[in-house]
Amino acid sequence: MKLSSPTQGISSLLSLQHLTVKVGEKTILHDLSMDFAPGSFHVILGPNGSGKSTLASFLAGHPDYVAATDSQVTFGGQNLLSLSADQRSRAGLFLAFQQPVMVPGLRVLNFLWLTYQRRFSDAATRPQKTIVAFRDYLKTLAVDLDLKPELIDRGLHEGFSGGEKKRLEVLQLMVLQPKLAILDEIDSGLDVDALKLTAAALHRLQNEIGTTILLITHHQQIVRTFKPDQVRVLIQGKLVASGDMNLLEQIEAEGFNSFKTLATEVS
Amino acid sequence: MSRFIAKPDLQPTAVAAGKKLLANDYQFGFSYPTANYAFVAQPGLSQQVVEQISEFKTEPAWLRASRLQALTEFERKLMPAWGADLSGIDFKSFHYYLRPTDVVAKTWQDVPADVKKTFDRLGIPEAERGVLAGVKAQYDSEVVYGSLKKTWADDGVIFLSMDEAIKQHPDLVREYFGKLISHQDNKFAALNGAVWSGGSFVYVPKGVHVKMPLQTYFRINSANAGQFERTLIIVDEGASVHYVEGCFTAGTLITTRVGIKPIEQVTEADLVLSHTGSWRAINQTQVRSYDGKLYTVTVTGQPSVGIQATVEHPFLVVRRKYLNERNQIWSTAWQPVSSLKPKDYVCSPIDRTVNDFETQNIEIPMGRGRHGFKLETVTVPTTADFFRLAGFYLAEGSISDEHYLSFSFNEAERDYIEDVKNLIQKIFGKVSLAESHHLKNHGTSVVVSSTKLARIFKIWFGAGCDHKQIPEWMLQADLAKQAQLILGWYWGDGSFYSKQLKHGFKEMFRLCTTSEKLAWQMRQLLLRQDIATSMNVRSRRHEGRRTMFTLVVGGEAAVKFGDLVGQPIKATLHYKKRATAFYIDDKYFYAPIKSIEIDTVKNVPVYNFSVQTDESYVAGGVAVHNCTAPNFSASSLHSAVVEIFVKAGARCQYTTIQNWYQNVYNLVTKRACVEREGEMIWTDFNMGSKVTMKYPGFILAGEGAKGEVLSMALAGAGQHQDTGAKAVHLAPHTSSTIISKSISKAGGRTSYRGLVHIGPKAHHSKNTVVCDALLVDDLSRTDTYPVEKIFTNLVEVQHEATVSKIGDDQLFYLMSRGLDETTARKLIVNGFVADLVRKLPLEYAVEMNRLIDMEMEGSVG
Repeated sequence: MKLSSPTQGISSLLSLQHLTVKVGEKTILHDLSMDFAPGSFHVILGPNGSGKSTLASFLAGHPDYVAATDSQVTFGGQNLLSLSADQRSRAGLFLAFQQPVMVPGLRVLNFLWLTYQRRFSDAATRPQKTIVAFRDYLKTLAVDLDLKPELIDRGLHEGFSGGEKKRLEVLQLMVLQPKLAILDEIDSGLDVDALKLTAAALHRLQNEIGTTILLITHHQQIVRTFKPDQVRVLIQGKLVASGDMNLLEQIEAEGFNSFKTLATEVS
Repeated sequence: MSRFIAKPDLQPTAVAAGKKLLANDYQFGFSYPTANYAFVAQPGLSQQVVEQISEFKTEPAWLRASRLQALTEFERKLMPAWGADLSGIDFKSFHYYLRPTDVVAKTWQDVPADVKKTFDRLGIPEAERGVLAGVKAQYDSEVVYGSLKKTWADDGVIFLSMDEAIKQHPDLVREYFGKLISHQDNKFAALNGAVWSGGSFVYVPKGVHVKMPLQTYFRINSANAGQFERTLIIVDEGASVHYVEGCFTAGTLITTRVGIKPIEQVTEADLVLSHTGSWRAINQTQVRSYDGKLYTVTVTGQPSVGIQATVEHPFLVVRRKYLNERNQIWSTAWQPVSSLKPKDYVCSPIDRTVNDFETQNIEIPMGRGRHGFKLETVTVPTTADFFRLAGFYLAEGSISDEHYLSFSFNEAERDYIEDVKNLIQKIFGKVSLAESHHLKNHGTSVVVSSTKLARIFKIWFGAGCDHKQIPEWMLQADLAKQAQLILGWYWGDGSFYSKQLKHGFKEMFRLCTTSEKLAWQMRQLLLRQDIATSMNVRSRRHEGRRTMFTLVVGGEAAVKFGDLVGQPIKATLHYKKRATAFYIDDKYFYAPIKSIEIDTVKNVPVYNFSVQTDESYVAGGVAVHNCTAPNFSASSLHSAVVEIFVKAGARCQYTTIQNWYQNVYNLVTKRACVEREGEMIWTDFNMGSKVTMKYPGFILAGEGAKGEVLSMALAGAGQHQDTGAKAVHLAPHTSSTIISKSISKAGGRTSYRGLVHIGPKAHHSKNTVVCDALLVDDLSRTDTYPVEKIFTNLVEVQHEATVSKIGDDQLFYLMSRGLDETTARKLIVNGFVADLVRKLPLEYAVEMNRLIDMEMEGSVG
C-alpha cells in the first residue's frame, strides 16, 4: 500500500490516491488522484458515461463498486474504504443522489429527524432539540429552497416531481451539514432559479461551517452559477484536465471532444 | 423499486413449516400448575369428552345435541387439502377442555385466590371500580372474571361470556348461534362446535352506540391446550360497536393506554411501557410458589406503593456515585433487586414519540329519545388554542344536563374568563356563550350552550372531576401544543407555593387533581417537557372528600416549569442553583430509591410478565426486567369461531391483533351477515403463529350494505400466514373493500387467498381488492390466490396486486443518510404498512409498529 505524502494528509479533507474502481470485472475509474481541501468548491465535468456517477456512489459507499487494492482514499485523515455507507454519512460525507429513491409510507419528517439525530448524536449540543422544533426548522429550510413545506409530511419521494426530489436532496444536505457534500447531477430537474437557490445554499454552508463541495455534472453551462475553485474533467474514467474557471472557457469553446484524445493518450 | 404484478401460483408447495423454531430463551419458564384445575379433560377427542364438557357446563339439551352433531361433522370432514401445511396437528394430543375453577365467578370475591392474584397483578380489579369500560378476561377456557360498565347495562348492551349468555339469554343465543357458520362449514368450525368453551356474547340494542371498544384478553396457560372460543355479536338496527380481541399466546395482553402507571393500575391497558420507552406486548404471565426474601422498593417522588420483587428480579438502575451529590454520568444497567441500595436511581422510560394531527374527528351521538341516536362526525381543529382550552376544562370544566359546557372561575380571574371566551369563539366560531355569576361564592362561569361541544368534551376529557382524563391522541401530540394544555390546566388547578422556613425559602409549583388517571398522564406529559415531578397522594376520606393527587414541581424543574407557564422564577435560590434529586435525559427519568424493605416469605405465589422484545416492563413507575417465561414445546391449537350479525343501518368493527407463539396453529372462522345499509369492518393483524389460516368474511345481504377487510400478516422463519377475505354480495348497491398487506422474511411465507362472490341480484355493486406483498429477502415467499365469481354485469370489480422487494437502492439511499441497515429495513417495512396501521386506534398503531420493528431486528436479508 502506498503512503500518501504528508502535505496531502494535512491539507486535504478528501484525498484520492491512485484510485481504480471496478464493478464486477469492469474497470470504471482509472488511477485517479485528487485532493480536496477543506472548504473548497470543486466541479467534476465530463460527458455521459465518463464514470462521474460511479465516483459519487463509490465515495458514498455503494457496495457494488470495489476499489483496486493499491487504491487509497482518506477522509478527514481516516481510511474511507473501511467504512460502510452509514458510517461514512455519520463521519460527515453526503451524497445528493442523481435519482433519489422512493420509500413509500416513510414520512419525510420522521426519516430526517432520525438521520439528524444520528448525525448529531449528542442531544445536548444538537440545535434542534425536539421533533417539533425540527419540523419548524425544516419548513424554514424548505421555504428557502422554494420547496412546498407540506411535502415533509409525505412519504419519502412519494408523488414528488423530479424538481421536488432534487430540492429535497439539497434540503437534506442543509440539515445534515456534512463536511463533504457530493452533488451528482443536481441540475437535472432544476430550473435556473432553483439552481441559483441551490448555489446560494451551498455557499452558505461553505462559508458558515466550511463544507467542502464536489459538484458533478455534464452541463458546463451551469457551472458558472456555482463559482467553483477548481474544475476537473473526467473522460472514460480518467482525469484528463484540471484547472480553474479558465478551463471552463476551453470546454465552452471546444466541448469535451478536445479532451477525448487526451483520455486516449493518458491510457 | 422492483414492483411487478403477482401471478397466481396454483401449485402451492408446503414449506418446511415449524421445523426450526427460533432459539428460545424460555427454558426456565414457569407455568401455572394445572393440577389445581377443577376439571382437566383427557387428551384427545371423543363423544365422552364432548358430553363431559356439556355436562360440566350444565348446558341445555339443544346445545348438547349441537355439540354432538358438530363432533360427527368433525369426524366426517377431511382436513383442508389447500392452504397451509397442517400435517403437524395431532388432534389426539390436545386437552380440549381445562377448567380452572368450579364456578364461573360472578364477582371479584368469587375468584379463587391463586387466579385472583394473577389478575390482581394485571390490575383487573380496577375494572370493578368502574375505571374500565368493559373487560372479559379469559383464563384458559373459562371466563373467570368480567365486568361491564353500568351505563351500557342501562342501555341494554349485553357483554357476557357465552356460557353466561346461554343461561341468561337462552332464546337470543339460540336464535343466532351457529346460523352463520354451521358445523358443516369446515372441519375446524366443526371442531369448535364440538368442544368450544369461553368466548363472548355481545348484543347491542337498536340505536345504541358503544363508544369505547369492548376488549377481551386471552391466554393459553398449558402446553397441549386448545383454545376454542366462540364469539357471537349482534348489532341491532342503527347501533354500533367496536370489538377488539387481543389474543396473545400463553399470556394476557396488557396495553397501557395512558403512559406510565404502576402495574396495579394497568387495567384498560393494552401494552406495557418497556425500558426502551416503547409500548410492548406481554407474552405471558407466570405464577410460581416462592420461598425466600421478598424486597419492597419505594421510590422518591412516587406515591409509596412500593414495588415487590424476588431476590433475582432485575431492575434497570444507575448506581449512586456519591451519597450526597447527584450523579454526573447516567449509564444504566440491569441489576438484581438484592444488590440495590437506597439512593441508587431507578429508571422510568419516557415515551418521546410525536404523532401530531392538525385536526381530529370525533363521532358524537346527537338526538335522543324515541328517534334514537344519530352519529355525527365532527372535525375539531386541534390547535394549540384547543389544547389550552382543554387544559382549562381539565381544571375548571364541567358538563351539565348533557347540553351545557361550563368553565367555573373565581370572579377575580378575569383574564382566564376572557381567555376561555376568546378561545371558544376562536375555535368553534359562533356559539351561544354566556357568563353566569354566583354571588354566594364569588364565582363566575362561562357557559356554552351546545350539545355538540358538551359531548365532545365529555367523550374526550371525561366528566366529573375524578374522571377527568386526556384522550390518547393528545398524549403524543406536538410538545408546544402539550405545553398549552399544561398551561391551561395550571392556570386552573395549579399554584406557586413559596414559604419561608427556618433555613430559608421553600418554593415550588403545585398541580392538583382528584383524577388519578389525569395525574399520571400529566406527569408523563411533563416528562416529555423535561420537567420532573413528585406525585403526592393524600387521602381525604376522613374529611369526606376525594383523594387528592398533587404533582409537585421543584428545583431546576420549577425554573423550566415557570418558563413554560409564563411565570419565570430565578434559577437560583439562596445563591445556589435550584436542584432536584431527579434527572431526565432523552430516554429516562431517574429517581432515587427511598427505601428497600426485606421480608422473608414462605410459599407465596409470585408473578411475572414476559414482555415482547424488551423483556421488561414498568412496575410501580420504574423499569424492571421480567424473569423467565413458560416454554411449551408441544404445539397448540387455536380454533375459534366468530359470528356477527349486523342489522339494518348498524355498524360493527372487529379488530384482532394476534401475536401467537411459534408453535400455535391459528385456524379461525369469522363471518358477518350485513343487512340493509349496515357496515362491517374486519381489521385483522396476524403475526407469530406457526400457521394461520383465516379469511374474515361478510355476506352483504341487504341493499346498500358495506364490508371492509383490512388485513396484515407477517411471516418469519418456519411460519406460513395464509390469510385473506371472503366478500359475498347478495343484494344490489353493496360495496366491499379488501386491503391486504403481507410481509415475508427469513424464509417465511405469506399467501393472500380471497373470494369475491357477486350474486345475480347484486347489480350496481362494487368490490375493490388491493393486495400488496413485501419480500424482505430472497428466501421468503408470497403468493396470491384470488377467486372472483360474478353473476351480473352491472358491477365494478377491481383487483390490484403488487409484490415488492426491499431494494438495494432503497437500502443504499437510507444508509447513505447515516442509518444502519437494520434501521433502514425497519423503516421500509413500517412505511409499507403505514397506511393500514394508520387505520388502527392509536395505541394499537403504536403497538403494531413496535411489533414489526421487533420482527425486523436482526433479519438482515
